[in-house]
Amino acid sequence: MATLLPFPVQPAAPVSEPAPVLRVQGLRKAFEGRQVLCGVDWTVPAGRVIGLLGRNGAGKTTLLRCLLGLAPVDAGSIELFGAPMTEPGGERLHRVGFVPQGFDLFPWMKVRAYLDFTAAFYAHWNHALAARLLDEWQLDPKQKIGRLSQGQRQKLAIVRAIAPEPDLLVLDEPVASLDPQARRAFMGELLALMGAPDKTVIFSTHITADLERADADIALLRDGRIRFVRPLAELKSRLCHAVLSRPAGWTTPPAMPGVLKARVAGASLHLLVEDVPTERLHQLAKDEEASLRIEMPTLEDLFVELA
Amino acid sequence: MPLLGALVHLLWLAALACLALITPHAEGAAIGAGLLAVGSWFWHLGLATTLRGACQPETFLLPAFRRRLAAFGLADAVTWVGLPALLALAIGVPHAALGGTLLLLAAAMGFAMGVERWISLLFWPLLVLAGWMPGLASAVVHNAIESPLTLPLLLLVAVLLLRLSLHPMLQITDRPPDTSPLEGLSVGRGATTDAAPRRSALGRRLEGWFDTIAQRALEQALTRYRQQPTAARRRTLVRRLLLPHDNALAILLRMAIMAVFATLYVVVALHRRPFHASVVGAYAVLIALARFPQIGRGMQRMRPNLADLYLTLAPTTRTQYQQTLADALLVLVPTGTASALAYTVLGIVLTHATQPWLMLLVTLIVATGGGLVALAVHLIGPQNAVGRQWVNAAVLMGTMAMYWAGVGLVDALGYVFGGGLLALVVLGFGLGVWFAAQLEYRRREPCFDAPLT
Repeated sequence: MATLLPFPVQPAAPVSEPAPVLRVQGLRKAFEGRQVLCGVDWTVPAGRVIGLLGRNGAGKTTLLRCLLGLAPVDAGSIELFGAPMTEPGGERLHRVGFVPQGFDLFPWMKVRAYLDFTAAFYAHWNHALAARLLDEWQLDPKQKIGRLSQGQRQKLAIVRAIAPEPDLLVLDEPVASLDPQARRAFMGELLALMGAPDKTVIFSTHITADLERADADIALLRDGRIRFVRPLAELKSRLCHAVLSRPAGWTTPPAMPGVLKARVAGASLHLLVEDVPTERLHQLAKDEEASLRIEMPTLEDLFVELA
Repeated sequence: MPLLGALVHLLWLAALACLALITPHAEGAAIGAGLLAVGSWFWHLGLATTLRGACQPETFLLPAFRRRLAAFGLADAVTWVGLPALLALAIGVPHAALGGTLLLLAAAMGFAMGVERWISLLFWPLLVLAGWMPGLASAVVHNAIESPLTLPLLLLVAVLLLRLSLHPMLQITDRPPDTSPLEGLSVGRGATTDAAPRRSALGRRLEGWFDTIAQRALEQALTRYRQQPTAARRRTLVRRLLLPHDNALAILLRMAIMAVFATLYVVVALHRRPFHASVVGAYAVLIALARFPQIGRGMQRMRPNLADLYLTLAPTTRTQYQQTLADALLVLVPTGTASALAYTVLGIVLTHATQPWLMLLVTLIVATGGGLVALAVHLIGPQNAVGRQWVNAAVLMGTMAMYWAGVGLVDALGYVFGGGLLALVVLGFGLGVWFAAQLEYRRREPCFDAPLT
């Protein structure tokens, strides 16, 4: 048995924040009658790494494509860099780097020709960065894209996305096909890019360790809505995983404020709690005549419990 | 394929009915055998095209795939060769064994041509030769019927053809990298990636030439654009990406390749009577229009790739982006017209046509008008394969009707009045359709979703 309580509303920030890079209100999108996004409200501040989490089919790719105007929306509004996304808006798109999930590039082109072609249209393109990454990631500039492996294509898509040093980098599962070395190298580049002021990254992934490394804000997409957006450090400091065990087992989880999710597994009751003092958990264990074990959840644990 | 299957099996039934019901008259067997041969050829051509797509390395991992394929082949041979031959033997049709062997040859030919397109080049000269020298062909056939060697030789040819087609199909090979879905060389232009015909050594070499030329053309366009980024140079650059084989040098190379075949055909066709020189222009227009159906298919397949181009081009509005694509593709119309004119000139020289200017004028007008209409309908036309085929057939028939009407009109009214009237009607219609289609295309939202099929 499991329950899931909504997160409490966060108090308004006391200081004025910079203008958001992205503001989404009431975004709706359906495919052949199946509602995928059911009124997404989401604000992405500048200068942060946002980890977009959600289960398979939650609508992460659809959301990211809608944000960039690559998929039409049914309702709602999107503002990118302060202007409505009703039209692409010219140079605004060059402030966005995008690594799509399928990295559908142009297989008949050679790596060098593809990057040169793309660079020709950009006012700002870091040729040195692109050349260095090609070299470090062992991408042969004379190779046809169609001859590259999946992982190499993904690397090329990443090079293409970050070479213009965009203000907003949108990455749709960018490391899914990368080997561990390439993933680390990519994360290194990402963090270096984030070193510049006001650079924002929206990063959809299932590899939660990468988000922990990037100290990302976590946005959870579930049931067609963004359920919460919180800094990872805050999530970790405020949430904990309590396991109550007793031989008689559990029929119903005890009611207690702050429980986000309760799950019974055999003789154990697993509680994901927020802002609940340890003393109260010990008191609960005492009241229920159970032993108590408190664990600090990893992001993966949180994802499993909440998504 | 289901439609083809239904039609050819109806032909099969009709052929067997002919054999069984009207065989006492000699023409019954001939009609039956003819129907069977035509049906079998078409059926095995379609079957090979389908199987070519199915025979992928992953498919060979299916349990007993090859055994089941062999069993299907046997059942197919029994249906198309065994049963009709047995029926013919039973009712005493003369030369039944030879007829059965010829049916096997027809099936093998269809199958082989579906797998390896170049095999059709082996038969084409024979058919042309038969048309050129019917007396000789008739004598050869007459003697072959009497010869005891004919049957084993035909069997040997059929087995060789099957070996030629089955061997590469059942081999696991590396897939060649994709070409632009909007392009395609003369071989297998309409094929999808999975069902793409295998390239012969010559085909691979030609592809290599086209590829080198395309890379060079892109580099040149890039250099020019960097020097001075004008709208025209930007359009050229986009064109080099979308249509890598539609640069001047590649077009010339394509024309040269086509000219070899066209010369052979025209030289042979000249010896057939009656030969109307104006037909050369009609063929030239048809060849030029054959380029356009790929646009509809290609734009659909290319949707996911175009997302990257969209972000790269960073258009101000969606309409502007759609307009950029339409502008880039418009080059296919002058390219097609130039190709049609070049082929017509070649035909005029080879046939010593008596009205060269008439042919050139009509080809110029009709190829341009037809090209505009073809590009328009393939750009905004039906998304499904059947709809596209209908549209294509309508465009081709309409264009041919315009061509022959144009020949008659210019012949009757002269170059100024006839040509002017033809230009007014054909180009007016073509431009009207193109502008309307362009408006509709601009109005549509760009789509970057992969097609479902």
